[in-house]
Amino acid sequence: MMVGYYVLIGVFLVLIQTTVCMPTPVWLFAPDFYYILVAYLAFRVDLLRSLLVLLPLGCILDVLSGTVVGMYSFLCLFGYFSIRVVAGHLPINESLYRIPLVAVSFLAVSLCFFFLLRFFETGEQVVWSWWQMIVRVLLVIIFTYPLFLGFDLVR
Amino acid sequence: MRKKTTRKRSSRFRLFRIVFVAGFLLTLTLIFLVSTLGTQKFSAMHKLMLEAVGPLQKMVAFTSSSVKDFTEEYLNVFQDSLRLREENKRLLVQLQENEALLNKSREAMATNASFRRLLGFRDRLSQPVVAATVIGKDPSVWFRSIIIDQGSNSGLVKGNPVVNSEGIVGQIFTTSPNYSKVLLAIAPSSAIDVLLQKSRVRGILKGTGTLTYRLEYILKTVEVEEGDYVVTAGYGGVFPTGLPVGVVSKVIKKPRGMFHEIEVTPAVDYQTLEYLLVIEQQDISELQQMEPF
Repeated sequence: MMVGYYVLIGVFLVLIQTTVCMPTPVWLFAPDFYYILVAYLAFRVDLLRSLLVLLPLGCILDVLSGTVVGMYSFLCLFGYFSIRVVAGHLPINESLYRIPLVAVSFLAVSLCFFFLLRFFETGEQVVWSWWQMIVRVLLVIIFTYPLFLGFDLVR
Repeated sequence: MRKKTTRKRSSRFRLFRIVFVAGFLLTLTLIFLVSTLGTQKFSAMHKLMLEAVGPLQKMVAFTSSSVKDFTEEYLNVFQDSLRLREENKRLLVQLQENEALLNKSREAMATNASFRRLLGFRDRLSQPVVAATVIGKDPSVWFRSIIIDQGSNSGLVKGNPVVNSEGIVGQIFTTSPNYSKVLLAIAPSSAIDVLLQKSRVRGILKGTGTLTYRLEYILKTVEVEEGDYVVTAGYGGVFPTGLPVGVVSKVIKKPRGMFHEIEVTPAVDYQTLEYLLVIEQQDISELQQMEPF
């Protein structure tokens, strides 16, 4: 039941991100809500249930965003496992203290994503822009705590 | 015994006194009544009474009048304010309704104008087209794609050019029965065969992920100026020839290399993408089999 709720929440967040938060196709200030859900699953939900949520979430993201199919699924899983491994070694279990970890992991995953993109699509003129990435990381930081509180309510 | 006799005498005296006083007062009253009724004039007593009562009456009358004026005035104000409040509420509702109506009609006019432009553009195209609406946009920093509400059920296939009344928007990247993903021409993975309209020199237009294109493979021997129009070349049969793509906005001349570095401003306003036309091309599937993109 919980898995179903989180899948629905994931779908809802992705739809919000691709419609309401994107007034134009080049809009920068669309918060990556999906990654906050990925981080929450890594912190609070067991592996099996998390995978059941992450697989459809990655699939939906691949459908609605990007041109390399499977890239988002990989990104979600990579983000999930990296946060889970680091969180397992953290002494503090409070949501507020985990925000920096979510932000850093998002940046690391984005960097990884960028290099993979350069590797798979060599003809592309994708450029890494620090200020754009910092804006996206800041948006993730801003929305992490309230969304974590919301996800806790679902639990 | 003696005490009893004294009490009896006192009682009689009291009775006598009462009867006497009553008789006197009655007599006076009768005299006053007879004299008043007889003469029909204000006696001194009447005047005295009037003088005594007059100020009181004046005061009461004034107070009453003041109270009446006050209540009338303030009651009217209160009633007016209630009435005005109701009127205000009604007018506010009416204003909101009118504003909503005005916005609707403005929106309808803008949509109508957009459709007219699109229709005019469609009439100029020789190929059949499918009208589509943008329903979603790619939120990632590196990809530039949109989702439209028409798919393979409407005859769309991968590679179909997508345009609006201003020019080239992109091409179909993938389709489902009712929806399609469009790779925008500004996407970093997009490449379109184009011509410089004036010199008829061919180049490759690449997306940069921002609101500009980069025109590549234009030899330095070719004269390129800012303001030159860039149109589709039509090679390969994907895009029809001569569709507006953009305008040269910057020509960077470097001492090294064979080619110009040219920046092109899109003809399409990507900030306001809403209604699009997908150009159907019958032979696109054959083209795909020949050279996959």
